Amino acid sequence: MSAELFSVFYQFADVFAFLILSAAGLAIVFGMMGVINMAHGEFIMCGAYVTVGLVKLGVPLAIAQGLAAVTAGLIGVAVEYLIVRRLYKRPLDSLLATWGLSLIVTQSMLLIVGSSVTGIGTPEGSFAIGGYTFSTYRLVLFACAVAVLIGLYVIFMKTRFGVMARATMQNAAMAKALGARTGRIYAISFGIGAGLAGLCGALYAPTMTLIPTMGATFVVESFVTVVVGGANVLLGTAPAAVFLAMIRMALNASYGQIIGQIGMLFAVILIIRVLPEGLSSVLVRRGR
Amino acid sequence: MALVDVKGVTKRFGGLTAVSDVDLTINAGEVHCLIGPNGAGKSTLFKLIVGLYPPTKGSIFFDSIDITDERPFARVQRGLSIKMQAPSVFKELPVRQNIQIALQARFSGAERDVEEERLLALLDLAPESGKLAGTLSHGQQQWLEIGMALALQPQLLLLDEPTAGMSPEETFKTGELIKSFNAEGMTILVVEHDMAFVRQIAQRVTVLHLGKIFARGGLETIIQDEKVAEIYLGKTHAH
Amino acid sequence: MFKLLDGPQTLGRGWTFWSCFLAVLAAALIYPVFADSYDVGNFSYFLIWVFMALGLCLMWGYGGMLSFGQTFFFGISGYAYGVLAINMGGGSTTIAALMLSVIIAMIAAGILGYFMIWGGISGIFFGIVTLSATLVLAFFLGQTAGPEWHIGTARLNGFNGMKGMDPLTIGDFYIEGSALYYVMVALIVIVYIALRMLVNSRIGNVIVATRENPQRAEMLGYDVRKYQLLTFVIGSGLAGLSGALYTSWGQFITPSSIGLPAAAMPIVWVAFSGRSDLTATLVGSFLLLFGFQTITVYSQQAALVLMGTLLLATVMLAPQGFVLGVGKLVVDRWTGRRRRDANSTLADTGRLQSDEA
Repeated sequence: MSAELFSVFYQFADVFAFLILSAAGLAIVFGMMGVINMAHGEFIMCGAYVTVGLVKLGVPLAIAQGLAAVTAGLIGVAVEYLIVRRLYKRPLDSLLATWGLSLIVTQSMLLIVGSSVTGIGTPEGSFAIGGYTFSTYRLVLFACAVAVLIGLYVIFMKTRFGVMARATMQNAAMAKALGARTGRIYAISFGIGAGLAGLCGALYAPTMTLIPTMGATFVVESFVTVVVGGANVLLGTAPAAVFLAMIRMALNASYGQIIGQIGMLFAVILIIRVLPEGLSSVLVRRGR
Repeated sequence: MALVDVKGVTKRFGGLTAVSDVDLTINAGEVHCLIGPNGAGKSTLFKLIVGLYPPTKGSIFFDSIDITDERPFARVQRGLSIKMQAPSVFKELPVRQNIQIALQARFSGAERDVEEERLLALLDLAPESGKLAGTLSHGQQQWLEIGMALALQPQLLLLDEPTAGMSPEETFKTGELIKSFNAEGMTILVVEHDMAFVRQIAQRVTVLHLGKIFARGGLETIIQDEKVAEIYLGKTHAH
Repeated sequence: MFKLLDGPQTLGRGWTFWSCFLAVLAAALIYPVFADSYDVGNFSYFLIWVFMALGLCLMWGYGGMLSFGQTFFFGISGYAYGVLAINMGGGSTTIAALMLSVIIAMIAAGILGYFMIWGGISGIFFGIVTLSATLVLAFFLGQTAGPEWHIGTARLNGFNGMKGMDPLTIGDFYIEGSALYYVMVALIVIVYIALRMLVNSRIGNVIVATRENPQRAEMLGYDVRKYQLLTFVIGSGLAGLSGALYTSWGQFITPSSIGLPAAAMPIVWVAFSGRSDLTATLVGSFLLLFGFQTITVYSQQAALVLMGTLLLATVMLAPQGFVLGVGKLVVDRWTGRRRRDANSTLADTGRLQSDEA
């Protein structure tokens, strides 16, 4: 019995980790600036490629993953500075610009690197409970997802940057008048968002085939999580991921991945009809 | 005869009660002013009548029909017409097209063309008719919006601070316009805090204070009410 | 009628514009006489996509609803055409299959649109919800390789796509080559004129009013949701028309015409052309498709990199669109010169009356 219970938890944890890791970066950028980064999938791809490249050079996996996230974050800061910064007054246009960037990056990668790179294989290690075997790495991913949420909580609630960032989120003009350097806050937030995307790619790199278009496998999950979660990462994205993971897990178990994904999409479309402002609006209202 | 009947309406936002158990009757054919210091709940009450917010409690009747659950467009189709506080026109469209969009619901063909010219002339906007509405001055945008509200030929015209941002001359002219519509039989509700303007147009006045009805009556009664002056002066000093 | 064609919502008015329009149309009509059939076939191929672009222009430029999911409806209709044409037995029934598949796309748009519009979704969320639906459809179709995935006798075939349906046929006559080309030209003229009349009509007035200020439009007594849904259904129906014609043209359709990067293409065409005008979209989309197809022959990736670059450049440098910008410049120069001429001749007869701007 407890083995079955753990098996259910394990499946939930697997989907939850995927949703949180793929959506956290997108949600931060959306929450802070009202911008959806359409090149989100390409930052994920970047993280995966850097990880695999470094591992092949002999760098230990965990360090390679850390460096990959940092690389993606730095590229994110550059993208913010060169493109997104000029479009804050036009959120729809920043979607289009980042989408253009996404096309350029994916297709250039296909031209230069070719269609697929040999992977590095999922780290060994599994354990058994009852009659079931579980992969240890999947639990590491879940732990990372939880760590990301805790990390974000600490950054945004406990640091000086977090206070400034939340003030900017509430009212950018006012925060600026009070001395917050909103330009830098935006750049750092975008960098954190891109870095988290890179981390997602880095963490999943060992588990999947690397192709330049791999970002597309993450974007649906990240989009729907952000749509359901609304603008607040901690109060929106996390509960949204819990909710969607339960739906997804139930459907995955009985009907397979693709029906799980379709079911999740239907759930999201129903939710937006009922709760147009996302889950976080409900939670925030309750909290008041 | 009551055209609008607000019965026991309450509106809460989270823990804040913006409007509390308000009854308000607007009789057919009158110019009714809703006044009160800042934060009294005037705009909230206005939006409840318009249908932008659902009330927490209570009901709203128009022409004896319960419209509490109707969306704004349905209320407008019943004969309301609205001018919001901040000018809200179709900024990227020409002035003439703004008027046309409003007019086409009630008029068509040659009749519409005549009405269009009449409104443009009435609002002194004929020379600007080709300009984009967003390029008009603040006062002109306010008039354009009043014109759009009038184009619907409403039974009841609802105006939320129609003179905000207008010069004294423009304000006076707006007052005279409102009186002339009323003379033709239109019922008008105006939310306002400019007392000179209220004196110019009001027949009946309702004073709102802290979300509740504080006083109501004819214009003269209200003006001479010392308690009204007190809350008003007390608060007006604050801003 | 003429007032609707030449109304305020569309650029290009009067004698000069319509003469140009007729000249281009005449050139298009005699083109197959001078070109070889391969090129005519290619031209028909570019024209297939124009409907999807015009539909997006209506939704985005006029209605203010940026859908990233035009290929969703393209795909639904394209696959529907395949399934219907195969199951109904081909021949003249393909005409019915074409119409039905467009209707199916419109019904799908009606359902998805209802949930989004009545749910109050707008702006960027409208884009990412439609894109999510598109990607999920593409993933779904991508894994239907097994023999268990079939509708009637039509196999879905996963990534390799559905094939073997008849092209549009009347009796024994396949509508191919020049015949298909003329059908396309006729359809484009009809759709273009019909859309012009729509956007200049009362309905069009409400559509642009809703784009500008939905609350104000509602306060004038319009149920803006219904107008938005109508716009969405028409725009998606046009994407569906493109999809059904595409399947009929090539007698196959694959999931890759739905997912990424295909979903980005209509956005690039319309953004680059100038979303706020139907004519600019028509001209610009055709030019882009022509350029894209020319480069794709050498390298599809390079062509897509160019599309991405154009999208980025449009947003950064000319948010209103390049074709529209150039068009306006030409018109300004043209009328500016004429006005100056008029000014100089009228200078001594008195002041110029210029109230009609």
